[in-house]
Amino acid sequence: MDENALIEGMARGDQRAFREFVERYKKKVYYLALDMAGNPVDAEDISQEVFLKVFRSFATFKKGAKLGSWLYRVTYNASIDHLRRKGNVPEPVGDDVLDSLSQGSTGLPSMPVKDPAQSAESSQLQARIARALETVSPQEKAVFLLRHYDGLMLKDIAASLGLSIGSVKSYLFRAVRKLQKELGGSAVISGVEAPHD
Amino acid sequence: MINCRTSKDRMIEAFYGGLDPAEKERFDDHLSSCPECASEYSVMAATLKLMDKRERPDPGPEFWDGYWDRLLRRKVWEEAGEGRRPSLGARFLQIFSRLPRWSYQTAGAAALLLVGILIGSRLINPPAPLSTRGAGDSGVVQAENYIERSKILLLGLVNYDAATEDAYAFDLGRKKTMSRELAAEAPAIRGALNERGQKRLRGLVSDLEVIMMQIANLGSGQDVEGVELIKQGVDRRGLFLKIDLDRMGRAARDPVEPASPKGETKLPKKNKI
Repeated sequence: MDENALIEGMARGDQRAFREFVERYKKKVYYLALDMAGNPVDAEDISQEVFLKVFRSFATFKKGAKLGSWLYRVTYNASIDHLRRKGNVPEPVGDDVLDSLSQGSTGLPSMPVKDPAQSAESSQLQARIARALETVSPQEKAVFLLRHYDGLMLKDIAASLGLSIGSVKSYLFRAVRKLQKELGGSAVISGVEAPHD
Repeated sequence: MINCRTSKDRMIEAFYGGLDPAEKERFDDHLSSCPECASEYSVMAATLKLMDKRERPDPGPEFWDGYWDRLLRRKVWEEAGEGRRPSLGARFLQIFSRLPRWSYQTAGAAALLLVGILIGSRLINPPAPLSTRGAGDSGVVQAENYIERSKILLLGLVNYDAATEDAYAFDLGRKKTMSRELAAEAPAIRGALNERGQKRLRGLVSDLEVIMMQIANLGSGQDVEGVELIKQGVDRRGLFLKIDLDRMGRAARDPVEPASPKGETKLPKKNKI
């Protein structure tokens, strides 16, 4: 079933189309929720909430919009709501502030880098990566995850999360800087070469 | 040629291949003539490459296979909840809103009198412990009973070692029958756990239901491979830990309840949690 047929089926309330939709996107939604919420129980709960919300409010989906982007947005909002209920999320910085920051990366001080040469062991590395991600705000994390792991372009992230491109650039920049600070840039480090393409 | 500021602004997109060819060429030209930017880019790129090594736990095929069924069950359950009649309290409020003021005053006085009588009677005859209470907690009591029976069945299963133990004594057929019965009971129990604060208990019953369904659907014979998969599922879901946490939570809420004679859950021999 192609995306248009899927959208038409879901607009008609066709349960088969809804099932196809769930099968197609369940992993993306679950993993984004897992990354945002940090534990599998909450991730399943959020992902189910997302699909039920989609099922019940599909009428609000604008024809011609990208289904995937819309779904990311619903997932992101559900995750933020969840974190907010748990008291884990700061209020987002205003778009105007982020836009001004995005005009130049020099808005943030350069971070001293650590030497992570010893962090070769996989389990230690995973723990360090997890800790590094904890230092990133939910908004920054969402932008980073969509760019780094899902390969979304900045404009698609902006559309998915309802942000301006400038804000997306700022969030991404701040996320990368924080990760770099935590993981140690000179890491370069323990065998990880920079690309030269 | 671009300057350092523009170069820094474009570094992340350069890494992700988001620059157009002309921009990329100007960016590369700048890096080749600016050691500071080249070094900064190298550090950033290394960090992002390190992030590629991140692993996310896969909940496993049985989680994904059962995803749709669990979602559908939740949908049906939530829709059933939405269609329910207003609560007794809400209906009382509706009736009260239509009464004259003197009736509130009379009702208030009567309520105060009733509270006084209740306090007096409780001082003379203290209430029974939670575990012996009836109707109001019936959902919780049923769930506790369900969890206890499921736990006994699961312990028998996860502690079974096909290499050293008698397959006939293990009696998988009987365990499958019991699991089928437990799986069939679960929806009604979950349905009764519809109050605030019962979400975790409901989730535990739901997890056990999935495992019971899987046991009920094991193949004929001893199906050692299937049993191993179930053990892994129990392990992955941390079911024994959840059961013990649930018991500790209940003990904390209801200190008068005597401790279980069985004590804490005996962890499986192989699949330590």
